[in-house]
Amino acid sequence: MRFTRRSVLQGFALAATLPVVRHSAHAQVAGVTRRAIPSSGEEIPAIGLGTWITFNVGDDPVLKDECAAVMAAFFEGGGRMVDSSPMYGSSQPTIGYGLQKLKYPDRLFSAEKVWISDPASGAEQIEASRAYWGVEKFDLMQVHNLVSWQDHLPMLFEMKAKAQLRYVGITTSEGRRHREIESIMASQPIDFVQLTYNILDREAEERILPLAQEKGIAVIVNRPFRQGSLIRQLDDEPLPEWVAETGARNWAQFLLKFIVSHPAVTCAIPATTRIDHVRENLEAGGGVLPDEATRRRMADYVEAL
Amino acid sequence: MSEWWTYTPGDFLMFSPRVYVRLIERYNLDFWPLQLVFVIGMLAVIVFAVMHVRLAKIALLPAFAVAWAFCAWQFLWLRYATINWGATYAAMAFFLQAGLLAILSFDTDHRIAVSRWRRYGGTVLVLFGLLVHPLLDLLSTRSLAAAETFGMMPDPTAITTLGTVLAIRGRRPLLLLPIPLLWCAFSSLTLLAMEDRGAIVPLASIVFVAILLLTPTRP
Repeated sequence: MRFTRRSVLQGFALAATLPVVRHSAHAQVAGVTRRAIPSSGEEIPAIGLGTWITFNVGDDPVLKDECAAVMAAFFEGGGRMVDSSPMYGSSQPTIGYGLQKLKYPDRLFSAEKVWISDPASGAEQIEASRAYWGVEKFDLMQVHNLVSWQDHLPMLFEMKAKAQLRYVGITTSEGRRHREIESIMASQPIDFVQLTYNILDREAEERILPLAQEKGIAVIVNRPFRQGSLIRQLDDEPLPEWVAETGARNWAQFLLKFIVSHPAVTCAIPATTRIDHVRENLEAGGGVLPDEATRRRMADYVEAL
Repeated sequence: MSEWWTYTPGDFLMFSPRVYVRLIERYNLDFWPLQLVFVIGMLAVIVFAVMHVRLAKIALLPAFAVAWAFCAWQFLWLRYATINWGATYAAMAFFLQAGLLAILSFDTDHRIAVSRWRRYGGTVLVLFGLLVHPLLDLLSTRSLAAAETFGMMPDPTAITTLGTVLAIRGRRPLLLLPIPLLWCAFSSLTLLAMEDRGAIVPLASIVFVAILLLTPTRP
């Protein structure tokens, strides 16, 4: 091979594009499965981004930049739904910082919550949240942990009718108040329900997930890793020999694939502070997803550990 | 709160230990070397008060009031509340304690003596809060940059105050015990949720104070 000035310069130019090539490769790897929101037919990726604890970083500039980098990796990897709440400390301004830094990606599906016991203050809190995010309006507004839901839901339906938001939902976590959740799902025209569902906490499979399918309600799954404790618990255990059948490369993907392969689940929202974990999570939402028999085998395997 | 029994301290922890430690590090950096001024200054006031220097005795409770107010304003209100909305309420309690300290500094009724055990025990708590507590961070995974010192951070401020109040003659100073004790309980639960071994310190302080209060009033 003969080195000329031109070939060397071409080599440098090629090298300069390498990070970009690698960047887009990450974007392609994800190929996240998309799920339709039953009430509208709009499709969203099955992996979202939670912000509980991870985005509550106060005004620490280093940590705010880390969160913005996580958001960048999330959107580049094909993610859309970012979920937060006024309860999450500084998570809302951190999201706003990240969105501003990323110039408000079109892909964003903003999921927020109203969390205040005084019904008269609900609209004010939603407006404060909107200002923190810096968005024109939210895609989804949920009543957090059913706080004053009897008053907040009519207000949210009215806002939806005025096109001030696109979807209305309710949330719970860790299996609390499931009977009330069922009752609201059966009686109110909500678009989304958010709850805890993972390989060890499967109570929702009995009634709520089937009810969501029956009533055409989208399901968001929080705490897919039990706030990280499930992964810490399983990290020392071997992945099953048949792990390839699940399409997972590690425990985090194993756990996420179990969740998003349930036909009633629309989107799981793992939270993380690490870019490599965001990419892993998004990857778990694509490729091979376990069938019903494999799902049962996965749950049995983890329960036996 | 419905189904309250299903909640654990961990459910209320809304920030990561890393964020908390960085918050303290940045706070310490903002004010260095004020930490030394608080510790050395308070130690000097206490020593001179024990030596019956009149000015030091007068300045004792107001000096504590300044420490509580500073901690409430600069740490709890301006910094900790950005990652823990509960800190806003703690800041109000700290301001209240600063007010109580200021008011009780005018109390001259010190006829009721305290036991020898309370005096000694109180001294141990004071020395612990001022000099030992900041070094505890070296035993944990934290660096000295995240050291918690009197006047800057709530735990050593509360512990030093508890020790001083126990050693002061009179009944009314006991009004100064509830807020630091409540803070110690809150702090212990928070550190427990963070799986920080330091959780034992505020908890042990509560137990120590309870034991000292049970000792007879007369020497």
